[in-house]
Amino acid sequence: MSIISKMVNWARLKSPWIIHFNTGACNACDIEIVDALTPRYDIERFGILLKGTPRHADVMICSGAVTNQIEDRLKRVYEQMPEPRFVVAVGTCASSGGVFNGCYNVKGGIDTVIPVNAYIPGCPVRPEAIIDGVVKLLASLEEKEG
Amino acid sequence: MATSLFYILVFPGILFLGLFSLALEFFDRKFHARMQNRKGPPWFQPLADFIKLSAKEGIIPEEANATLFRLMPLLALTAATVSFFYIPLWSTRALYSFDGDLIVVIYLLTIPTLAFFLAGWVSASLYSMLGAVRALTQLFAYEVPLFMAVLSPAILAGSWSLSEIAAFFNDKPLFIIFNVPGFLISLIALLGKLEKVPFDIPEAETEIVGGSFTEYSGRYLAFFRMAVDIEMLVGASLVAALFLPIGLDLHPVAGFIVYILKVLFVVALLSVLRTIFARIRIDQMIRFCWIYLAPLSLIQILIAFIVKGLFLQ
Repeated sequence: MSIISKMVNWARLKSPWIIHFNTGACNACDIEIVDALTPRYDIERFGILLKGTPRHADVMICSGAVTNQIEDRLKRVYEQMPEPRFVVAVGTCASSGGVFNGCYNVKGGIDTVIPVNAYIPGCPVRPEAIIDGVVKLLASLEEKEG
Repeated sequence: MATSLFYILVFPGILFLGLFSLALEFFDRKFHARMQNRKGPPWFQPLADFIKLSAKEGIIPEEANATLFRLMPLLALTAATVSFFYIPLWSTRALYSFDGDLIVVIYLLTIPTLAFFLAGWVSASLYSMLGAVRALTQLFAYEVPLFMAVLSPAILAGSWSLSEIAAFFNDKPLFIIFNVPGFLISLIALLGKLEKVPFDIPEAETEIVGGSFTEYSGRYLAFFRMAVDIEMLVGASLVAALFLPIGLDLHPVAGFIVYILKVLFVVALLSVLRTIFARIRIDQMIRFCWIYLAPLSLIQILIAFIVKGLFLQ
């Protein structure tokens, strides 16, 4: 691998900017995501910043089972993110649909609509688990490209 | 020819400027984190952000004016970079200087804000248009106090050239104390210019997602972030040159260290301000600037005239 692509890969691992998107969660996972962003857990030491717009983000953190109504929005927000982009499904519902699986208005997990790179189970997930999941996602990228 | 190219491109020109502004962003973020009792980002964080953004896909919205959309980050970056060459850094001589460069530097520092406005406007997104309009509204609030505050050292020194102002204060260092209100005004105005908390109204994340930069991604965003960093460095250097002109006749190495310390001091003050305040509304910001800052800067000019009449005739 050339030195430039090595540097780019290093930079990608060191600066994952995230965007938080609620695809129909009950809000518990969202609270935990916001919890993980507080100074107590200090995820800026990994270079993680919360961004308001999908154009700036590298990693989309989705919480909740995909409802019929949010499906189009989820696709559009995903398509607005510039390449390379990653998706993390936070919580049991986002991973598989959870208890909402089979509801008349629910599609299922995030991976029924867009590709998912990492699943973090939990109901709700703990902030430590979210940080661990994102770090493991980055470590897997290192193995793949390094 | 070769030496002036070296001056412009390497030291104290573009390369030094880029690296020092990234270091300054790190200092700002780390200091901010430490004041919030956090560990903060590692030292290479701004560099990693810059490389990552440069390597990302740059999306240009279909509705946007593609030429202007591409041009604006470069315009902001160029204007901020050029203004650096006229500021005396660690001696009383700037790299280039002529009579009136103070005005040119301040106008060059206004261009990035106009670039932010145009960038938001041509993005053809509602959020970025709101951010753009707010950036321009804010410009009218802080620009006049900033202009009047930096006029006061010029009036005292009787010159429009930054290098001559620095030389004057180097001869008569005690006159710095008459400029303290101007220093505070320019600090607050600089916060507005850099769109930092409490004046980050144009890019208020919680209301209008990303302000003017909402639609920007990839290397265009990287250039914009770089432009903001360089603007911070140039603004801090300008404030240091006008209001803290000390240690300018030292040995170049010692003078360089003093210059770095001065810039870090100004940026630390900006970090403290952005840590202890929360964002205010645009109408509150304009009211604050016109009711308190503008009269204070008039008083500063009055002080400058009185001091000049009493001591410098």
